[in-house]
Amino acid sequence: MRFGRTHPVALTLIVIAAVLMMVPLFWVLALSFKANAALMADTNSVFSLPYTLANYRTLFGDGQVFRWIMNSLIVSLGMTAGVLILSSLAGYGFARLDFPGRSVLFVIVLLGLAVPEQAVIIARHQMLSLVSMHNTYGALILPGLSAPFGVFLMTQYFRAIPRDIDEAALLDGASRFKIFWKVLLPLTIPAQATLGIFTFLSAWNDYWWPLISATNKQMFTLTVGIASTQMNFAQTEGLGFLMAQAVLAGLPILIVYLFFQKYIVQAVAGAAGR
Amino acid sequence: MASLTPRRRRATDWTNALFVLPYLIVFVAMIVVPLAWGMWLSTTKSDLFGTEGFVGLTNFVRLFGDPIFLQTVWNTFYFVLLTVPLLAVLGLALALVLNRQARWAAVLRTIFFASTVLSVTVVTLVWRLVFLPDSGLLSVVTRALGGTPIAFLNDETLAMPAIAITTIWWCIGLPMVLFLAALQQVPRALYEAAALDNASRWRTLTRITLPAIRRTFALVIIIEVILQFQLFGQPQLMTLGGPNNATRPIVLFIYETGWRQWELGYASAAAQVLFAMILIAAMVQYWLSSRREAR
Amino acid sequence: MSGVVLDGVSKRYGAVTVIDRLSLTIAAGEFVVFLGPSGCGKSTLLRMIAGLETVDGGEIRIGARRVDHLAPGARGVAMVFQQYALYPHMSVRENMAFGLRNAHVPADEIDRRVAAAADALEIMPLLDRKSTQLSGGQQQRVAIARAIVKQPDLFLLDEPLSNLDAALRMRTRLEIAQLHQRLGTTMIFVTHDQVEAMTLADRIVVLNQGGIEQVGSPMDIYLTPRTEFVASFVGSPKINLLPVTVEAAGEMTRVRLANGAIIDTAVAAADLPAGAMTLGLRPECIRPAALDGAPLAARVQVVERLGERTLLHVVLDDGTPIVAEDSGLSAVRPGDRIGLAVQPERAHLFDADGLGHHPAQRG
Repeated sequence: MRFGRTHPVALTLIVIAAVLMMVPLFWVLALSFKANAALMADTNSVFSLPYTLANYRTLFGDGQVFRWIMNSLIVSLGMTAGVLILSSLAGYGFARLDFPGRSVLFVIVLLGLAVPEQAVIIARHQMLSLVSMHNTYGALILPGLSAPFGVFLMTQYFRAIPRDIDEAALLDGASRFKIFWKVLLPLTIPAQATLGIFTFLSAWNDYWWPLISATNKQMFTLTVGIASTQMNFAQTEGLGFLMAQAVLAGLPILIVYLFFQKYIVQAVAGAAGR
Repeated sequence: MASLTPRRRRATDWTNALFVLPYLIVFVAMIVVPLAWGMWLSTTKSDLFGTEGFVGLTNFVRLFGDPIFLQTVWNTFYFVLLTVPLLAVLGLALALVLNRQARWAAVLRTIFFASTVLSVTVVTLVWRLVFLPDSGLLSVVTRALGGTPIAFLNDETLAMPAIAITTIWWCIGLPMVLFLAALQQVPRALYEAAALDNASRWRTLTRITLPAIRRTFALVIIIEVILQFQLFGQPQLMTLGGPNNATRPIVLFIYETGWRQWELGYASAAAQVLFAMILIAAMVQYWLSSRREAR
Repeated sequence: MSGVVLDGVSKRYGAVTVIDRLSLTIAAGEFVVFLGPSGCGKSTLLRMIAGLETVDGGEIRIGARRVDHLAPGARGVAMVFQQYALYPHMSVRENMAFGLRNAHVPADEIDRRVAAAADALEIMPLLDRKSTQLSGGQQQRVAIARAIVKQPDLFLLDEPLSNLDAALRMRTRLEIAQLHQRLGTTMIFVTHDQVEAMTLADRIVVLNQGGIEQVGSPMDIYLTPRTEFVASFVGSPKINLLPVTVEAAGEMTRVRLANGAIIDTAVAAADLPAGAMTLGLRPECIRPAALDGAPLAARVQVVERLGERTLLHVVLDDGTPIVAEDSGLSAVRPGDRIGLAVQPERAHLFDADGLGHHPAQRG
């Protein structure tokens, strides 16, 4: 199937499928440019003039959405930075350094890969309640830092770097930390990119934990914020407004995806295929 | 020969552990302790105000006598059955057609993966607008074709398939890229040999391509089973588990028992049941992937 | 410039001893090659000197300084690795300067040394390239330059030529020899290639199973191999080894092959132990001769023409294979039945313990 021409039937089917994939998105985009009143009267009005930016004006005038976007950015960037730092240090430690119990600890961390969020989320919630941490950025970031995937990925990556490089640096009189910082870490940049993008995306799209941890509207992330307006579907400012919100929440990440497609696909597939 | 030489470092050094310590602290605090705590909680009667005491396996006994919980277990399996085979087959079909260098294939790959990067709340918002009884996209189309619109999300038998369609739309990118990666691993020489042997397109597919990616197919199934077992956001946002509990999955049961009724012990017990189910699937995955390495 | 002393050094991995109480003295300025098959411990020994492996027993001294407890960076050694081990993310210049920066050498001094080394190895135009943009041969030169700028007391080279193609290997071999002549620094070079060892070394250390088989100049090793192992490891094509019995004879030893043929050697009979022996004959001392009167008769199977000489792969009547040598313009053809003459003064005898007995050296 790798060479030769694509069968016309297959080609037709897949193009139809691609159109079907995109229709809901364009539907939402089109609705977001219609006045709420016009949509109430007849949804078919979406196919005719006039179009308006009123929904976006309402959305931007409110300001709440920007607060949520800011929260999402802080949480996602904070978690990404944290995961990269912790995973790099631990990956180097597990791959290169010797200390008592190293292999046992590594196996235990790997077993952590099999623990789903559902098995720990209730206790996590209680623990953070005990220390009154809910509705803080710390509470939103902390659980994400424990994901063993990053440590696993970085350990594999450090292991793949030839040991000769460390030894050459050792003979060049570099200290242990200098070897990590100046010699090996720059070599892991591809893995850092993969892990960073994956972590950012998961944090940005995470729903359950911010839903239960952030109960104060001011601390909502974008996903939870969008969910909260969606919940009272009927009472909202109207369909057009909701759709403008969906566009605002979805479009930036789609644009980022178009730019970093290669890395994102690699990161997502890599995380699944571990 | 240098690579064969076993290597040893200077006497083991405790300070080396400092590199892994920061992560280990978070790991213990956010995975090990909560895991143990959750298991303990599942054997207690606990609510928002604290633990009333150890009740043994009472919570589990109650779970298996709770018709709503049993319904959520069935719903979860039903949802997995609706989505996973389709995700695997459609993902494979897309990968087979799109596994080429051409520009149009790259564009289509971009389109099919795009929805994967959206959050569950955006996805459900989009699809509620599709399924909306009066003014949804489907109603508009149905009416244009002269039919009567159906309220999918309010219909006991159609709500779950509607959620399944939403999920397939959202998740189809991952199986596709996993299959694409596997197809790229099939040695080109195999296809060249088949072409020299005058193999037809169909024979090449069934005798070379499919056997070569058999293991990936199994892995995709397992990965998707694990992912779809954890169904939560779609019904929570689209149907609230209704109508008449028809779309309530286990995770939503855990969420509502825990954070609506604040029965934390009971919710923990349900979480342990789900954990056990996922663990079995994960073990199958591990077994499959280690078998692949052994070959 | 410093000499190196290994005094009873040992290395164990668990119960396995890979280096067993090995002692060796290397003079300042000497070029020493550690030669041996895979797994003989030669790389381990080099890495112990570098400080990349711990020493389980004994002492290592470089110059007057005991170094076996020092960190690798503090031993004043520079190493060229088999895979070069250049820092991939750094430019050639940064690669060369890294070690000097760690030693807090002043910046202008670093620039001066880098320029001098780059000039010497003709890599000036590459200085600002990333090491990953270089060919294998260029990487090799950078690796050597990186070692030179440190102005070490001792150079360690771990099979540095094994990843180069044949032509480049010969050229680099020559350059390393010239480098040693110019710098005069002590060098230890590890290889399993006897040609590299023969051409480069002042002295060769032949290692086998974690111990020293023989230490000597290249020609010592070639002409008077201390053991059967050394004789068969050094020399290409390999030395012919034939089981023989010693015949009662005069001053010089006369031996009888399994097929009854008699061969005279120039090995003094007096100091030979009793018992079965092995006769060692290098191909170049077995020449074709007229069938009548030749000690050996054989049938030619394969004729390998190398241009300046011809190798004859023959079998004796009893099926024993032997490699002999003829001139480049040899008239011998496959299938011929020929006689073989042996130079007695180049014949070696090895006793049951594998120890060699050689004709007295002339001069």
